[in-house]
Amino acid sequence: MTSSDQHSAANIVHSLPGREAAIGGRPRSPKKVLVRVENVSKQYRLDAQLVPALNSVNLNIEQGVFMAIAGPSGSGKSTLLNLIGCIDTPTSGRIFIGDHDVSSKSPDQLASLRARTIGFIFQTFNLLPVLSAEENVEYPLLQFKELSIAERRKRVQRYLEVVGLSTFARHRPNQLSGGQRQRVAIARALVVHPKIILADEPTANLDHKTGGRILRLMRRINRQTRTTFVFSTHDQRVIDMAIRRVDLEDGEIIRLGVRAGKEWVYAMERMNDSSLDGEEDDS
Amino acid sequence: MLKLALRNILRQRTRTALTLAAIALGVASLVLGGGFVDDILLQLREATIRSQLGHLQVYKRGQFASGGHHPYDFLIESPDAIERAVDAVPGVVARAARVSFSGLISNGRGELPILVEGIQPEPEARIGSAISILAGRKLTAGDDFGIMVGEGLAHALKLKVGDNVNLVLATREGAMNTLDFKLVGVFRSLSREYDTRAVRIPLGAAQELTATSGVNAVVVLLADTDLTARARADLEARLPAGYEVKTWQELADFYNSTAALYERQFGVLLIIILVMVLLSVANSVNMTLHERTPEFGIMRALGRTSRDAFRLAVLETALLGAIGATIGVVVGAAFAAVISAIGIPMPPPPNSESGFTAAIRIVPSILAAAFALGILASIGASLLPARHLARIPVVEALRRGV
Repeated sequence: MTSSDQHSAANIVHSLPGREAAIGGRPRSPKKVLVRVENVSKQYRLDAQLVPALNSVNLNIEQGVFMAIAGPSGSGKSTLLNLIGCIDTPTSGRIFIGDHDVSSKSPDQLASLRARTIGFIFQTFNLLPVLSAEENVEYPLLQFKELSIAERRKRVQRYLEVVGLSTFARHRPNQLSGGQRQRVAIARALVVHPKIILADEPTANLDHKTGGRILRLMRRINRQTRTTFVFSTHDQRVIDMAIRRVDLEDGEIIRLGVRAGKEWVYAMERMNDSSLDGEEDDS
Repeated sequence: MLKLALRNILRQRTRTALTLAAIALGVASLVLGGGFVDDILLQLREATIRSQLGHLQVYKRGQFASGGHHPYDFLIESPDAIERAVDAVPGVVARAARVSFSGLISNGRGELPILVEGIQPEPEARIGSAISILAGRKLTAGDDFGIMVGEGLAHALKLKVGDNVNLVLATREGAMNTLDFKLVGVFRSLSREYDTRAVRIPLGAAQELTATSGVNAVVVLLADTDLTARARADLEARLPAGYEVKTWQELADFYNSTAALYERQFGVLLIIILVMVLLSVANSVNMTLHERTPEFGIMRALGRTSRDAFRLAVLETALLGAIGATIGVVVGAAFAAVISAIGIPMPPPPNSESGFTAAIRIVPSILAAAFALGILASIGASLLPARHLARIPVVEALRRGV
């Protein structure tokens, strides 16, 4: 183990209590692990230099959690999110989504996995500007050949209703406010019924009030649909709303926390596999 | 994907309009250039056929290979069988027997070596419709000892209509034979060289002068030049043994070399236009795709493959190419029609004294080729940028949007 490894927070075992344990209740049985990150490192090449972005990160994400990956700029949170989202590949280590080791998959297989398993919400919304709101929501479904046009449209309408944008279905992104665009992005992420939604700084480009509404909307969806949400953020409001948190610094996990009421309980011990119990927080 | 591509190309309207203009201009240039060259070659071809060659010529086998140096060895003594075969071929509108020999012409003031052609005046008038009469008239059936001379020859001997000239030829046996003729006309054919040494006299007079009853060739005019290959095959099947059929193209050395020259020039023009279109489109496509890299990143993050991104980029440019090429074809054809209505005065071609009025023909095959080239150049311009775009990692593509 290198010196760097020894200092890696990812290798510190934190005894993560379940919510009940944290507040003195009886622990529930462990939930299904949706994403397993095993000893993942990522380095970028900058001219002749290799710049480490993540260093031997271990993490389990269980189904249904509403998790924030927090840390300052350059801490590696977006990199971790991109790796989980299969839009980037680790320099070393393995990532499992469900039972699939994504590091062994071809680019086309990863594209298919992304299409059916992962929803993305971006800081800059990233809607296709030439498509209307409903067409943007429909876009990822066009690959689902098993869906009829009627089924597709029905599903699009349903998720536009979920995000409260039915009346703006025909509007193009440039005719929508920032908050409305992000709602469209949320509907687009949800419409494929993904197992996990990855949101990279989803409130960064929104004003305080709108950001709060978007967060509450995502939390509501998380509760109602049991869809897993993972955010990268340095917005305290997002962290406050999360029920699990992973704190990153300099590419390493320094803290893993689970919400206990209004407080966080942190696991602070060295470990090889940092596991988060996917307890639901109803607070 | 088609809807997305169409909407994308309508986003940057000014840039799209400029790209379309570049494609349309290139395609229209090809339509105009191709139509112009085609018209020149068509006029030259028809003038070649209708001044001397006809569409087909029947010889005794071996005459063509001998280069005409031993005309007496290849005389067709009885052309009746050949004429019957020719008459049975569909599409034949005229046939004429000819006899050709070398000889001398003299008018008392001077003497020059000449090519003597014995012709049948009436059918030759139909075959040689592109021969222009500069003075006097054409030979007629009643001109037993009338003679027409080429423009250059008339000039060299200072001959005028009504002058008497004397022709001297060697017979098969080697004896010299001579006859007097009255000049009825001065002609100009397509070939200056021919006009400086050719005379035309009635076939009967030529046979009398050479002391033969045969002919060297039977010349055939068809209703349409496009019938040439079929008529040749048909005629060959009908001819008795010992004869061969040559098409105008095998006989028209001047036309062939001129056509090759024009086609080479047009080929170079085509390459230049293609490169110009390609570079213009490549520049625009490069800019557009570069600006839209994040969008392609989004598509791929949402589950589209890099192949899908490549296809969309190429499809957008192909659509631009199709629209631009359509505009180019329409504009090119419209300009061609207007210019043709006015006419383009052309100087005489090399080895010729006659200028002509060129037009720009609207040829379906040229329109189709220009249209296809417009699309292909556009697609070609998009391949490298699209390939580059499809290879950008998704994360990198998304990052460019931040």
